[in-house]
Amino acid sequence: ERGQRCPPGWLWPRRAGVPKGAPTPSLPRQEEAQAIDQELFTEYKFSVDQLMELAGLSCATAIAKAYPPSSFTTSQPAVLVVCGPGNNGGDGLVCARHLKMFGYEPAVHYPKRPSKPLFEGLTTQCQKMDIPFLPEFPAEAALIDELYGLVVDAIFGFSFKGAVREPFGSILGTLERATVPIASIDIPSGWDVEKGKAGGLQPDMLISLTAPKKAAMHFTGRYHFLGGRFVPPALQEKYALNLPPYPGTDCVLQLA
Amino acid sequence: PPLLSQAFPLPSLPRKQPTVLVVCGPAQNGAIGLVCARHLRIFDYEPTIFYPKRSPDPLHRDFTTQCEKMDIPFLSYLPTEVQLINDAYNAVVDAVLGAEAVVGEGREPCAAILATLKHVRIPIVSLDVPSGWDVEAGGSGGISPDVLVSLSAPKQCARRFLGRQHFVAGRFLPYDVQKKFELNPPEYPGTECVVAL
Repeated sequence: ERGQRCPPGWLWPRRAGVPKGAPTPSLPRQEEAQAIDQELFTEYKFSVDQLMELAGLSCATAIAKAYPPSSFTTSQPAVLVVCGPGNNGGDGLVCARHLKMFGYEPAVHYPKRPSKPLFEGLTTQCQKMDIPFLPEFPAEAALIDELYGLVVDAIFGFSFKGAVREPFGSILGTLERATVPIASIDIPSGWDVEKGKAGGLQPDMLISLTAPKKAAMHFTGRYHFLGGRFVPPALQEKYALNLPPYPGTDCVLQLA
Repeated sequence: PPLLSQAFPLPSLPRKQPTVLVVCGPAQNGAIGLVCARHLRIFDYEPTIFYPKRSPDPLHRDFTTQCEKMDIPFLSYLPTEVQLINDAYNAVVDAVLGAEAVVGEGREPCAAILATLKHVRIPIVSLDVPSGWDVEAGGSGGISPDVLVSLSAPKQCARRFLGRQHFVAGRFLPYDVQKKFELNPPEYPGTECVVAL
């Protein structure tokens, strides 16, 4: 229910045979989340491209499960994808491309673009799929509500610290006033990665990547999905992630 | 890998352990096999890799490291005694040669691998092109896969495929590329990345 917080044990679906009193899953703090990422790149030799592609695909898949195109009340299944200046924004670009392939009509707003081949490539891939890039963010929340059935928040991720720089402060302010559902990638943007943010963005969906972070404990929306099904078993054990099993070959898992 | 699960779902496997042998050639097809093996491991299969001639490409070397760090065993040799393969594994993923291969050169170690695979009795899943087949004309006397996964779009030789299931994995192709090459891809169900033809 909205407004109620899940007690820690309720974040995981019950696993058959898990005894009572089993250790609760460890929700990584910011430094741990960063350490896991680093290990995936330096020890396991994953490339950022590989993991970002799998992460973005998870996000699009979770969205398709919770908000199928047929459920939209707008004339087209229009989705606004707001991409920030870092990797969370990159996840958003991948997500937008897969949403297009799943039959949605995404539009991207990407005001601060790093001049790195990874992000330039992802941008080109979206553009070549005829995904429009909005030069300006909709000025009014009411306009967003009218034009889009869903907003994807790909602004800030788990590395976010400190003050929110423009234009993202204004963007978040407008999003906070919108009533259309918001799906946040990994961390609701503007939230403290561990403590959350009482007066900030209240997304309807959270897609936690790799493992839910501590901030997820403050999530009050309807849909919490886990994505990023690439964590090697040895790494899961090392950080005691206790991730629940994904169903079959799905790349996402809906959490209670 | 999702297609392997569709063609060979875990509960249906004949052997007690969900073992799969993934045979990887020296070029791109082999690299795709490495990625496939990694995802099979994530899906709770028990892949074993045979990768005798390793590509020097840094990307492919990283794929190898990822598999090693996932505790996927790499065989040091492929038994010529075919019964050993039949007994140990539920299926073989043929990622030896793809569309870029030049047929008839008989280069080792691929020729020896293919000579062995021709005689296995467990199902073979070929990636893109059944190894040893000519990409246009098809194969005669070569391996006969049970399942073919065409990558991007089926190749000409797919017309000669006589196995049980033919999948296409090409959902990532941008629309203008599909149009330009007149690919007319089928509809992919839901969010699936493969579709059975």
